[in-house]
Amino acid sequence: MKDKLRRFLRIDRRWIFLLLTAVMVWPIIHPFGLSGKTSQQSVRDFYDFVEKLKPGQAVILGTDYDPSTKPELHPQAVAALRHLFSKDVRVLILTFISGAPGMIEELNQTVPAEYGKEYGKDYVIMPYNPNYMAAMTQMSIDIYKAYDKDAEGNDVRGMPVMAGIKTYKDIAGVIEITGTGMLDAWVAYAGDKYGVPIIGGTTAISQLGFGPYLQNKQIRGLVGGMRGASEYETLISKPGKATSGIDALNMAHLLVILLILSSNLILLVIKEK
Amino acid sequence: MLIIKKYIPLAIVTIVGLLTLATYYVPAKASSAYLSTLNQWEVIVSGFAFLLGLISLLMTHYKKIAKRVDGWGYSLFVFIGFFAVVIPGIISHGAQAKDGVLTSLGWAFRYLYNPLAATMFAVLAFYIVSTAFRSFRIKSVQAFVLFIAAFILILGNVPAGQMLWDAMLGWTGICGIGDIIQWIMQVPSVAAKRGIMIGITIGAAVTSLKIIFGIERQYMGRD
Amino acid sequence: MKKTELLLVFFSFLFLWPGLSFALNGKSNIALPLIEDAIAEDMPYDSGGDILLRWPADEDDEGVVYEIYAKTESSENEWKLADSFKAFEKTADKMRMPFWAWSHGSDEYAVKIPIKSVDGDADIGTVLCFKIKAFRDGKPIAESAILCASSDDNWFNLPRLNGLLMVILITAAFFMTMSRAKKKGLFIRRIAGLDAIDEAIGRATEMGKPIYYSTGINGMSSVNTIASLSILGEVSKKVAEYDSIIKVPHYDPIVMSVAKETVKQSYIEAGRPDSYHDDANFFLSSDQFSYAASLDGMIEREKPAACFFMGYFLAESLLLTEVGASAGAIQIAATDSESQLPFFFTSCDYTLIGEELYAAGAYLSKEPMLLSVLKLQDFGKLFMMLSVLIGGIAIALAAVFHCDGFVKGLLDFFTNY
Repeated sequence: MKDKLRRFLRIDRRWIFLLLTAVMVWPIIHPFGLSGKTSQQSVRDFYDFVEKLKPGQAVILGTDYDPSTKPELHPQAVAALRHLFSKDVRVLILTFISGAPGMIEELNQTVPAEYGKEYGKDYVIMPYNPNYMAAMTQMSIDIYKAYDKDAEGNDVRGMPVMAGIKTYKDIAGVIEITGTGMLDAWVAYAGDKYGVPIIGGTTAISQLGFGPYLQNKQIRGLVGGMRGASEYETLISKPGKATSGIDALNMAHLLVILLILSSNLILLVIKEK
Repeated sequence: MLIIKKYIPLAIVTIVGLLTLATYYVPAKASSAYLSTLNQWEVIVSGFAFLLGLISLLMTHYKKIAKRVDGWGYSLFVFIGFFAVVIPGIISHGAQAKDGVLTSLGWAFRYLYNPLAATMFAVLAFYIVSTAFRSFRIKSVQAFVLFIAAFILILGNVPAGQMLWDAMLGWTGICGIGDIIQWIMQVPSVAAKRGIMIGITIGAAVTSLKIIFGIERQYMGRD
Repeated sequence: MKKTELLLVFFSFLFLWPGLSFALNGKSNIALPLIEDAIAEDMPYDSGGDILLRWPADEDDEGVVYEIYAKTESSENEWKLADSFKAFEKTADKMRMPFWAWSHGSDEYAVKIPIKSVDGDADIGTVLCFKIKAFRDGKPIAESAILCASSDDNWFNLPRLNGLLMVILITAAFFMTMSRAKKKGLFIRRIAGLDAIDEAIGRATEMGKPIYYSTGINGMSSVNTIASLSILGEVSKKVAEYDSIIKVPHYDPIVMSVAKETVKQSYIEAGRPDSYHDDANFFLSSDQFSYAASLDGMIEREKPAACFFMGYFLAESLLLTEVGASAGAIQIAATDSESQLPFFFTSCDYTLIGEELYAAGAYLSKEPMLLSVLKLQDFGKLFMMLSVLIGGIAIALAAVFHCDGFVKGLLDFFTNY
């Protein structure tokens, strides 16, 4: 018996992979409809920040994610953009990640049409810029030196969406959706240095790292992972992809708990250190 | 030779390092103009460096194919992948969509790159679960405390866990699992992180001084 | 009689004139009480983007709303509303400034007006004019004289003096510790992960398998990458001595070019320039997960004897180390990305935490100058610990005894402006 248990402890990890696949595929095919409860203060802070914006104010939406983190971050970006458009806020979309322009294109094709928003008047998409540090510093002096053309190569100076915008002083806040270190960069190079309010959306795995920033109000609100995205979708009453994926997330979490418990129970039974 | 390889680069590091540090304390226009120029130079240099990277990538894999080293077939995919994206990119002038219709580059991005990249990140979930199973063994008091914290966090992070907590302990009315999570995240977790972050910041500041004053020059070949 | 009538008409006209004038112009030209001592000046310590307006706050201001109108001196345009706020909302004490740079208190108003908000083309030196109006219940009750000023860029940001003093202090301590370095030896605690480097390289030599070294996913301008390259220098020197093979896959092409020089130099220093191969350093991808996928593939196929992950990592950390662990490699990681530390702990043999990454280069090189600087890191930590402890107690005591000025002063000193 003990030998069998010992063997279970050394189980080939591919069995665990298989188990996880089964556990996650099942709720995707047959959803249980377990709704998320809003319990995270940081998500409510994110929502409140956007809610308090006045029509006509301008916000930078940093979409620094690529297809790898799309399941977690794209629903956040969609929800944030929907919320911003519903408040008639002007949006400057930009990115420093090479894989992001495709994600932005997906946003561009869906969300603005829902709210009847016009490119160049209500929002603008800036081109991919590989040097985030230079661009973030430059925008404190003159945004047009970092971005004089939009992603299509049109001059942004004459666009109504850019009216009255010159530096960070003319921006109401930066919403950064990313699984990379770009949120830290915004805090360091724009938030702390020039006082621009920073709000973030990030992957569940990176969420914990932003605790100190949240406590210091260096980040005013944070949506973390698919769970955070589903809570935000609930707050703006627009259930989307995150809400539908929450069942699979539930099951995966429960499996982790079961695995940890079982391995420790076995250790207890066989009394092996 | 020593002047070109050692003293001139060190002088550049020291002068530019001190000037850049000074810009934080000097708000004058000259300061922002200097920073602006420096940033533009950096963008230009990184543009050329991309080309350097590309040449290195293609040459490495070309050599592997030419020498038929083990796994040279994988190197073929580097070239296939490269041309499968670069050629559509040139044809569609870098645009992923035109008048709402996907270009060939857009198609390559959405239907080749998207699923490949998503797969890589998804693998992480599998690794986390298997690592949790293998490593989360309670072998000391500290590990037990860690286990309790992790257990509450995982449980509280899913609606099923919240429902379970409410059903079992909700009647006591002491506090919700959300409050406990918030406490764990904002007190012990942040305290530990701050400790590490302060250490890192001091380390980074001292290393920066070592670089600016040329004490640390291993990165440019010591002598 | 005629003279008396004329005088009557004249006096009536004199008294009725203000009313008549109001009726004719449709608005009042009655001289409102003056807001006295109002001044417009260049906003100190800034880059020339703002003008500062100051005027005394009165105790009877409750319920008053102030409006500030502005225009360029040369323009013929109408006055434009530049700011509006309720009484006591923008008193000088609310300006985010430390005590050594700002002495104005709650007895006066201080409002910053960005020059671009008045005129988009305004620049340093453009003269702007301002008018302050006070309203109660929607009716004007007072008005200032026209105040004109131009902005200027300043050469020193005085509020950041505390930061500068700290930099000077650290720099002085830095040179002091270095000058003492040569005089006596220094005790450095053992770092197990770094001691294991020899073991890992020795193992690779015995097995005839390569060593993989990743410098992380940050660029050359990041301190963690430079720290990683310092370690790479020492590691590759040992690799050259043992005549083993090192492979350094890169995320950033600039880092690759620098790392090439570092590795080459190490081989020369070890006396084995002939063993150096230029393709030891190669570029993989600047995309996080493409980089991880390529490196994972190589580790899986070549089954290296040792893997070093030194630098800045994000979500790819576990993807890399799990594959390395399953390939049976000895793995040593060092990162200052604290969110990834748990992943490195669980899947690597040795993990250097945060600041140890910066100390590793010095530890391995055993150069007295570099080692002495480690002492400074410890002094820094001691200073921080004492500051937190003493500062915490001092602020708590000051709050009990209501020493608000002292608390503000202390907090000002430790605030980043």
